[in-house]
This record gives sequence, C-alpha cells and structure tokens, in this order.
Amino acid sequence: MSTSTIKVTIDQHEIEARPGETVLQVARRHGIDIPHFCYHDKLSISGNCRICLVKVNGLPKLQPACNLGCAPNMVIETAVEQVQQARENVLQFLLVNHPVDCGICDKAGECRLQDYQHLYGPKQSIARDPKHHKRKLYDLGPRITLDNERCILCSRCVRFTREISGSNALGIVERGNHSYVEAEVPGRFDDPYSDNVTEICPTGALLSKDFLYKCRVWFLQPVRSVCTGCARGCSIKVWRRSAVRQQHMPGTDSAHVAYRTTVFENAEINGPWLCNKGYDQHKWMARERLLEPLVRGRAGTVAEALAEAKRLLESARNPAVLVSSHASNEELDVLQSLLGGVAVYVHRDWLPVEGEVVEDHLLIRADKNPNRAGVVARFGEREFDATAGHDVVLAWGEFAGAPPGAAHWIHLSLFGTPAEVPATVVIPVSNTWERRGTFTNFEGKLNAFEQVFERPAGVQHAADVLRSLAS
Amino acid sequence: MSTPFPSALLEQFDAIRRRYPPEMKTSLVLPLLHCVQDAQGHVTEADAVTIAGYIGMPAIQVVEALTWYSMFDREPQGRYVIKVCRNIACSLRGSERVVAHLQKKLGIGVGETTADGRFTLRTVECLASCGTAPAMQVNRTYHEQLDEAKLDRILEALP
Amino acid sequence: MNGTVFQTFPITATSHTLGEYRARGGYAGLGQALREWTPAQVGERAKASGLQGRGGAGFMTGLKWEFVSKDAPVVYLCCNIDEGEPGTFKDRWILEHSPHQLIEGMLIASYALRVRHAFAYIRGEFDLPLRRLEAALQEAYAAGLVGENILGSGFSCDIVVHRGAGAYVCGEESSLINSLEGKKGFPRNKPPFPAVRGLYQKPTVVNNVETLATVPWIMVHGPEAYAAIGVKKSPGTRLFGVSGHVERPGLFERPTGYPLAQLIHEDAGGILGGRKLKAVIPGGSSTPILTAAEIETVTLDPESMTRAGSMVGSGAVIVIAEGTCMVRLLQVLSRFYAHESCGQCTPCREGTDWMNRILERVIAGQGTPADLATLRRLPTGIQGNTVCALGDAASMPVASFMKKFGEEFEHYVTHGRSVHDGRLAP
Repeated sequence: MSTSTIKVTIDQHEIEARPGETVLQVARRHGIDIPHFCYHDKLSISGNCRICLVKVNGLPKLQPACNLGCAPNMVIETAVEQVQQARENVLQFLLVNHPVDCGICDKAGECRLQDYQHLYGPKQSIARDPKHHKRKLYDLGPRITLDNERCILCSRCVRFTREISGSNALGIVERGNHSYVEAEVPGRFDDPYSDNVTEICPTGALLSKDFLYKCRVWFLQPVRSVCTGCARGCSIKVWRRSAVRQQHMPGTDSAHVAYRTTVFENAEINGPWLCNKGYDQHKWMARERLLEPLVRGRAGTVAEALAEAKRLLESARNPAVLVSSHASNEELDVLQSLLGGVAVYVHRDWLPVEGEVVEDHLLIRADKNPNRAGVVARFGEREFDATAGHDVVLAWGEFAGAPPGAAHWIHLSLFGTPAEVPATVVIPVSNTWERRGTFTNFEGKLNAFEQVFERPAGVQHAADVLRSLAS
Repeated sequence: MSTPFPSALLEQFDAIRRRYPPEMKTSLVLPLLHCVQDAQGHVTEADAVTIAGYIGMPAIQVVEALTWYSMFDREPQGRYVIKVCRNIACSLRGSERVVAHLQKKLGIGVGETTADGRFTLRTVECLASCGTAPAMQVNRTYHEQLDEAKLDRILEALP
Repeated sequence: MNGTVFQTFPITATSHTLGEYRARGGYAGLGQALREWTPAQVGERAKASGLQGRGGAGFMTGLKWEFVSKDAPVVYLCCNIDEGEPGTFKDRWILEHSPHQLIEGMLIASYALRVRHAFAYIRGEFDLPLRRLEAALQEAYAAGLVGENILGSGFSCDIVVHRGAGAYVCGEESSLINSLEGKKGFPRNKPPFPAVRGLYQKPTVVNNVETLATVPWIMVHGPEAYAAIGVKKSPGTRLFGVSGHVERPGLFERPTGYPLAQLIHEDAGGILGGRKLKAVIPGGSSTPILTAAEIETVTLDPESMTRAGSMVGSGAVIVIAEGTCMVRLLQVLSRFYAHESCGQCTPCREGTDWMNRILERVIAGQGTPADLATLRRLPTGIQGNTVCALGDAASMPVASFMKKFGEEFEHYVTHGRSVHDGRLAP
C-alpha cells in the first residue's frame, strides 16, 4: 500500500516521510520535538528564527529543518553538541534585547520563548549592553496590545494577515535591528480575525487587551466548547479557574467567571483559527439574563411557572413550538420524543447585526446560530407561520419580539430581560456552557461541547422543562 | 488615507508602468517610490498608500518598502542633501576629515539641516568610489577625491 | 590599457558610445551567436570557458546557466549592478566606459537561456553609470540590437533598467529578486534556488556585471582562449580594484593568479607616503584580513587565497598601512554590517548590532576582557547559521581582525585607548 515514502533517520530513529514533507514536518508527526518559532503548519515557510537548525550528515552547515525537504537516506541529528549550541546561540541572540518581562507578562506559562529558554537556553545572558527600547503596551488596534520589545520578529502575525485572513493589516517596517511590527493604519488593526495573532505569537508581544492582567494562565483551565456565533460552530476553549485555584475571598464569584475564550484546534471544522466573535464568546455568554421565572410579568417559582405553562398548553386549540437554533442535539432529541402532533417551526435566534461580517472565505457563516442543521434534521425547515392561527406558542430561544399572532406565549428564555420580550410565562433555561452536548454545523459535522459551569439556581435545563410540560 | 498626486506625476507613473511586463505589477513599487522622491524630495506614508492604490496591491507592502530602503526620505530634506561615505576605503582616505570640514563649514551636525533649508548633511555607506576616495554625493551627483579645497569649491558652485 | 577583456581602449569622452564600441569589435559576438549557434551551444561555450561569477561567490557561470530547465516557458535574467561590497568599484567602470559590452553580454546570455525579459538591477545611488547605461540602451534599441527580432534573427529580448534604493543586501541574488518584485530585500531560504524558482517563482539567473560583460569576448575569441588565461581552475582576467593606503588606487585588469604583492607595490604604486604595509583585505570587506607577512606569496586566485585563509571575493583589495588603528577600522565595518542587516533572521539581526555596540564601547574606552571574549565567540554563532551570507560577511572581519591583531584590542581594553593615535587616514 506504499505510495513512495522516503526513508530518513532522525536521531537514529528510522522513519518514513511522505513526498514533499520537510524534516520538521516528519519529526513533528513522529513526536520528535525540533524547536521552532517562525514555522506554522498553516503558514508559508519563513525560515528566519533559525532555532530549528539541525545537523545533516554530509552537509557542513546546519540546515533549517523547516525548509529542508526529506531526501532518501538522509541522516539527521538533533541531539549533537553542534545543534544544542546553535539553539543556545539563538536564545542568546534573542536575549540581547528581549525584555525579561515574564513577571509582568500575560504570556508567562504559555510562552514558547519561555519554554525553549528552559529546555535549550543558556544559563545566563552574556550581553552587557542596555537593551534597545521599543514601544510597549501599544494599541495595535482596539483589541490587541503590542509590545515591540518582546517581539522576536518571527513574522507569523504578518503572514497570517496576508495568507489566512487576507486583511494585509500587518507588516514589519524599518530594517535590521530597528525592525518592528506595525499595522498598515497605526492603531487600527482592522481584521475580523485579529485575535488569532495572540494565539500564534510565540512571545508576549501580541496580547489580548480584553484578557490583559486578568489572571495568570496557570490558575486557569480550558474547557472544550463550541462557539455559538454562527453555523460553523468552531471549537473553542473556555477558560475558567481550575478547581484547585478557586479564590476563597468573600465577594468574589470567580468560580463562575470565564476569563477568556481561545481557539480549540479542530482539523475537521476550524483548523487552528477562530474569528473575533469566537474570541469574544465569554463576553457574549456573560450578557445580562433572566435568573428567575416570570408569570404574567411577576416573579414566580419554577413550580408556578411550570403549572401555568402546562395549563396554557393543555387548553390551547392550536399550539405550536418554535425551536431555538441554539438548542443542543440532545435537547432536540428530548423535544422530539415528547412532541406528539404539535406544529414545530425552526427559529433563527440571531440574524447578522449591523457592522458584523456576514460571510467570508474563511470561517464566518451568514447563519448566526450554531445548530440550525440539528433542528432542521429533526423538524424540517418551516419558519413560523403567523397566519396559521396558533393561539399558544412555546417559544424556545432568544427572541426580539413576541411571535406574531399568538395570544399567549411561553418563553423558554436563553438570555434576554423581561422588559424586551414580555411573555405570559418566562422560564429561563440553561445556556450552552451549563451542560454538555453537541451541535451539527452547516456542513453536517458534529461538534461536542463540555460543561463549563453549573447553571444558576433559578435557571432550568430546557430538557427538564419540556419533560415537565409533557407529563 | 492617501493623497492624490498631480497628473504630471501620474503620467510618469504610466510611462514607468509601460516599461514592465504587465504581470510584474508589484515591481513598480521601487520605481514609483523613486519617482515621488525625485519629484517631492521625500515620500510620506500617505504617498505610499496612494502608490499602492495605483498599482493595485496591499498598502502595507509599499509602506514596508518605504521604510526598509535607505534612499527614501520620509520628511522634507534640505535643497542639497550631502551624503558622505563613511565606509572603509573612504575612512582610510580621510572621510572623517571631510565630515568634520562640512560640519564646520555648514554649522550643522550629521543628520541635521541648515536653518535656511539649503543643506542636509548625512553619512552613508559604500558608494563604490573606493578607488577615488574619499567620496560623497550631493543629491544625485558624485564628488570624489575630495579634499577641503575641493569641498569648498563644490559648495560654492551650487546654484 | 593592458587589459584583455575590459581595459583595452583609451577612455575618452566618447569611448562608451555604440559607434566606438562597434569600432573595437563590439556586437560581433552577439551577431555570431545568433547566426551560428543554438542557445545550447552558446551555453556550452560559456561553460567550457571556465568563467566563474565575478560578484564575489565565484560560482561557475556556465554551470549556473545549466540549472535552468530547458523546458521552462518563462526564464528571467537579472544583471546584478548592486555593487556595494566595500572596496569594489569595477562594475561601475564597465557601465561608465563600456556599457554596450554589458548589454551585449546580457543579450548573449539571454539567447542562451531563452530569456525574453532581462533586468538590469542597478543600485539606486549610481548616477553616471545609470545615465550611461540608459543612453547605451537607447542606442542599442535604435540600432535593432535589443527588442523585437534582434538583428533579424527571430530572437527577441527586452532589457529593463530597475533601480535599487539603498541596501547592500540586495546584492545577494535572492534578495535582489525579492527587491525586483517590489518587496523588502529579504534573502530567501534555499532551496529552491533561483534557477528553479526565482523572480515571480520563474527560473531566474542572476549574474554580476563583470561576468556578463566577459561573455562577448568568450564568444569572439573562443572558450579555449579564455580558459588558457590565468590559473586553470579559475581562468580569465579580473578587474582588480585597489583602494586604501596606496599611491595609485584604481582598477587593474590582470589575469587570475597574479601576485597580490605585485598588484599593491607595483601597479598601485606601493604604500601611500612611503609607509610600511600593515594589512590587506584582499577581496572586499567581507573577506578575512591578511597581515603584510601573509600576503608575500599569495596570488589572486581561489586556491591560493584559500590556503592563505581568505578569499578572492569581488577582487577588491583594500590596503592598510602601519599606524592604522585596527580596532577603529573594524568598527567602521561592524557599523556597516549592522546598518545593512535586513533584519530577517535572528543571528544576523541581533549579532551584527551586538558586535557593533561592543566595538563602540571598546573604542569609547569602556571595553572589558569579557567583551573581547564575546567578540571572539559571536562570529562562530553567526557564521553558517543565517539565511544569507551577510551574516558570514559580518563575522569574518571580526574573527580575522581579532585573530591577527588581537593585541591591539587587548591594549584598547586595558588602556582605554588605541595603541596608535586612532587615525584611519594618513
């Protein structure tokens, strides 16, 4: 079954490379760590950091593994003195001007430069000259702060804006040691994918302003989830305090705070990228929401709300259910099992808002809801028919206004305050971060999310509410 | 934010464009930057953005070129920009004395412009005049085998 | 006028014009090539001559041409007129005094490589060389020597003059290519080599002025005649440039293998002011420095130079007399390389600036023995580890100056001042 693989040896391990693979690529595929800053497998090869230099038998000079194509019988050594010295040299060179900001730098704990310094670096810098000063805490744009001193000019961010997002917003200006990263329009890093540069930056040069100084990353733990911003359903990491790092101070509720959202690399769906709306998910999910049920505009208990809702549904002539495109597949399965002959319509909770990218070449989809495909697969594509004379509507999801024509509606509310969408009965239900589940994206791909937080006390799981109403 | 160029300059742009095969559009970056530099004495970042628009390419790449090559000035210079070579052959043949003489004569330091805006004094790297060192450029003109008397004559002869 | 290929005619107000070039046999080579030989045959003649690149790297020209695939639909030729290696001033001479020789050489090379568009990348600072080249091209176009259907042969080739804008690194062939594409002059990692993927990712040959301008002579007189001149492995003549502390600095066309001492003491008139010779940088500032004693038996060819521990480079001989402060002189160079580093790769970007700053401190009387230890160490950390040879070029002077003149550096560090009076010029 062999296509032509190429046999190479790395550190005495014989491995098979695919045609066209570089030494760095085949090494990574086999779990051999060759350090690299400027290489990224989704970006063009830059070969400028020089920390990936390896020894190739028969060649006098060290070669950059990121640019070295595998050739038959190539013998590569990475553990030899010459290579170790070369790695240490690169780190010495970077230390000449890189400010040792670790104590005040957000990147500490997840910084490639820091990691390599521990693994491969010198015990001490031999430079005696004062470090060159450049801009620090510079507003590259409204979302990103840039520290040009920390930057090692790997050019990953620049290549990202040219090759992936296509914004061409970043460049490296000036020459030699004076070079620095700059936005095409200074102060306005205009790119709906801008936050990805904070992920790919190997140092603390590019940081999220939203996360700046909020928390040390080693106090946090990421939970895998799915972005609810559009029908792509990119995988994300939601960062909360780890169990052993809860703060025990009165007045803090840091146990229920999501400190930041970053990308979860998912080769099937979003690769290593996430749009800014995805990076903002923690702000989005912290929106104001209703935390207690309402019955005819007044606060009530869960039991009262359920009782009233049941009464309305039982006495309805022509009830209908409007199903949220944010419901998980598991919740939809529960609804499907309980329905009987009630009319079901699919609801678009969110349409594109003014100023937001509608659809693009990379990730963003015009459908701003994560699970329309899941709803349609179970219930079809019909949208709410105001002329059908539904007198009681069970409206599940987020609504800008009452379903037209309904005398009564029972709102299973995901977010939203009572003033915006007055309904006869409002029962707040849990959001995506308060349970596990799956969504189906616009390509029909399934994506799973884990539970990040416990639901607040007055908020119910929609599945439980539906079972109660059906019984 | 770009600044419009006068039509005479745009005609020069068109003439330059015709010299290159059409598939080589980004090759126009340096010639057009030179064109603006020669016309105005300097090229601003806004000019670079305008050039990018004319070529039809991302502006950041023209800004990068503007800032990376040392012949482009981003601010107005004196009427005569004196560039004295300070590299090895010229150093061995007295470039430091040339600089000292000019500093004294013009009353400015390296990197400065005279108050009347007539002269800017700079040091540059090898001009390939090593056999006729020490050498300098005044705007585009080379002056070689310099000594103090010759420097005085050159300065006096400038209109 | 003792030359063979270049210095064969007296320089007058008109010796660069088309008429006079033709009068001395110019464009006969092009005519013959177009009439009598196929492109492949022209390439073979270039290869058989043994001509090596004259830019500094010395790679066999005919072999470089062979790397270009015969089936490539588009091939580019770039003439490298980014003459910037300190000490070098030969390419400008060719442009000022025999520009048609370069044009003819470019056309013959373009015919051999099946190039339709050739580029003359000329450093932005050049004034007279540019004007002479442009005037010569105008003459050549008018005479049907460039452009469509050259001399009725069916071969068409246009030459586009493209000015650089002040960057020494653009003399490196892949940097030149990036610059021609309108980008910063960042050198490229190789592979791929330009002959495979170069200008706009098409096969591209970058050749030095002197290299291309030698081609017409080889066509007319034959490759064997060229191969018979000078030393066997690196034949021909070169335009050696002598500068620095000599009575008669200038260009001297001599066969390869010519004695270096003779070039300095006879052709260039010996040391300025009758002083004694101290040191020679034999091939442009990037080549290791040699002491006066070391150059006694050195000849100007790669083998002899390698044995002596240096290189022929661009043939630019920089002569230094006794009494010159080697520490200050080295800092002139380290300042240059730090200024010219493109900034792309870590060792060069940080290392060139680092070496320069240490030397600045030493010269200001603030150097320490640890600084000298660092200065000895840094070249080995940079050399061989960079994207292009500028890292090597910056390292070799530091390494060789410290090795050959280490005691001057020690003195400066110990006493806070030069062992000489610090002057560089007499």
